[in-house]
Amino acid sequence: MRRRMSARQFAFVFPLLLLIGVFSLFPIFSSFVYTLFDYRTNDQAAAGLFFGGNLNRSLYYEDLDYIIYFLEDDVTLVDETGKAEFSAIMQDVSKEMETYADGEDTIKLGSTESRQISAFIDDVERRIAAVYEKHPEIQFYNKEKIPVLTKEMRSCIIPSNFTGFEAYGKLLSDKRFGNSLLNTFIFTLVSVSFELVLGMGLALIMNKAVKGIGLVRAAALIPWAVPTAVAALMWSYLYDGGSGIIAELFTKLGLISSRQSLLNTAGGAMSAAILADVWKTTPYMALLLLAGLQVIEPGLYESSSIDGAGKVRTFFSITLPMLKPSILVALLFRTLDAFRVYDLIAVLTGGGPGGATETLSIYSYKVMISQSNYGYGSVIVVAMFLCVALIAFIFIKVLGAELISDE
Amino acid sequence: MKNNIAAKLLSWTFIALFLAVSLFPFFWVVITSFKPGSEIFGRNAFGVIPENPTLESYRRIIFEKGIPKAIGNSFIEAAITTVYVIVVSSLSAYIIARYRFKGKILLMSLILGVSMFPQMIIVGPIFNMFYKLDILNSYWITLAFSTITLPSAVWIMVAHFKKIPVSIEEAARMDGCGPWRTLWQVVFPIAAPGIFTTAIMTFIAAWNEYLLSYTLNADKMYHTVPVAINALRTQFSILWGEITAATVVVVVPTLIIVLLFQKQIVSGLMSGAVKE
Repeated sequence: MRRRMSARQFAFVFPLLLLIGVFSLFPIFSSFVYTLFDYRTNDQAAAGLFFGGNLNRSLYYEDLDYIIYFLEDDVTLVDETGKAEFSAIMQDVSKEMETYADGEDTIKLGSTESRQISAFIDDVERRIAAVYEKHPEIQFYNKEKIPVLTKEMRSCIIPSNFTGFEAYGKLLSDKRFGNSLLNTFIFTLVSVSFELVLGMGLALIMNKAVKGIGLVRAAALIPWAVPTAVAALMWSYLYDGGSGIIAELFTKLGLISSRQSLLNTAGGAMSAAILADVWKTTPYMALLLLAGLQVIEPGLYESSSIDGAGKVRTFFSITLPMLKPSILVALLFRTLDAFRVYDLIAVLTGGGPGGATETLSIYSYKVMISQSNYGYGSVIVVAMFLCVALIAFIFIKVLGAELISDE
Repeated sequence: MKNNIAAKLLSWTFIALFLAVSLFPFFWVVITSFKPGSEIFGRNAFGVIPENPTLESYRRIIFEKGIPKAIGNSFIEAAITTVYVIVVSSLSAYIIARYRFKGKILLMSLILGVSMFPQMIIVGPIFNMFYKLDILNSYWITLAFSTITLPSAVWIMVAHFKKIPVSIEEAARMDGCGPWRTLWQVVFPIAAPGIFTTAIMTFIAAWNEYLLSYTLNADKMYHTVPVAINALRTQFSILWGEITAATVVVVVPTLIIVLLFQKQIVSGLMSGAVKE
């Protein structure tokens, strides 16, 4: 029954499209846009996406008001020509105030308008100074205050913080980015390799053993089901330099020189993170591979044993080729998961010691959220996104279109 | 024959080792949770049996550190997420499984793509969105969980709907069932196991979420379990007694879910992994 879709059927899919659109696609698009701006929320002049200039209208309006207020004091001290000039200035300023009386606090500014405002500020400043200079003998009330005010008025014009692809160039010379990219690759490669080998062994055994499989399966699911942030905290206790039992065990075995050196040395911390990840996800890998093993025709094994092939031979010539699609799918999921690792490392080491376990996720989170630098943080995230897309692309090319086929 | 026994022995050793490694961390955490502070550090730090077992850590996390509140928040958020994800994913998965329409491959690629991209890419814009709407520190965060739960939910449901023979629906229609009634009274009841599997997977994913919860709901009143447990670790002291007691308390529900529903969980994990 393959039917054409009508409006009513579309209504069924609409909530999915809406949620994915608002909470996944729009944010991804926004992150791409952020990368094009020097967007930092802790700096007022960069706390938004200012394409073209902007004006801090409310402050500008207030400053104009102060000019009039100051001149009203000083106008009482000068002669008739000075009075006439000050009044003219005040009139111009009131007219400017009318233009910017209403609206949002920050408004968009075209380049012509921006130039007009700059010219207006220059003009007002120059004309006021001219009057002051004409009367060097008079002690004006606000002579010193006017330049301070005009300076602030100029700062009301917020220039564009659009930087285009400039920030991507910065990425290439950013050593910390290179370091975190390398850490991410090492973490992914090592942990996924271990998980594949151990998971395969476990899957083969679970496929054979009939008795006790329920127990093994339940035991396998528990590490997977526990929140990563909780599991990581649990491991940070086991690794603890003061009272960690695993740290103690490794010291006794001679793997590390002292308990403290497990999390305090670069190699130790990375190994610790990888071990915790392998502990948590090997069972998941095993279950994915087990699913693949269970659909292999038993007949294939029988004919292989009739042909006199040994166990090892059977594994390499029958099991492995038949299992290839399952292995690739499991590898794809696990590689992507490991590549974007955040919770585990954030809790276990926080990226330390000295950046030795800082992965791309950790680095981007620190830049974006902790330092409020959304622009550059997004550049790192987008670079990570592109790596993930590349990895997925390679896997799917190898897998073929099978994964999203409609059959 | 001798070979066979050796192989069996090897298998059992491997299984025993696997069980020991998988379960040891939990075992040790349970032991520590009953130790008084003085035994966690120092002489008895590596002792298996607490000399003066105490429930003090449990008392503190339950009555002073707000862990029950966090469990409540986690439960509410996971439940809200599960309910709407089930409704949205089952409706759309039914259409995807049964109808032919333009852009279907695109839609499926999109869903797969969303399940693959790094979650970190949405954190900044989502934070800004929630900040502007003034809904930081609220249960609205559950809508943002759609990005981690919906794709796999749709995936599992499509696989289940495809398994239901079309002839059943046709028979219902012959008997005069309208499209709505067919869906509610015929298709969904048959798909119930799939819906249940999806519900469990969604619930676990939402229960375990850390990054968004930590970023969007930083207020203690809205801490979920993973965030609240990590908040026990302060800058100056690490109270392992409280942390292990809290871990035990929050792992128990997970344990119960896993033991009760392991079949459904395994089937959920495997949808999409194997072509049937």
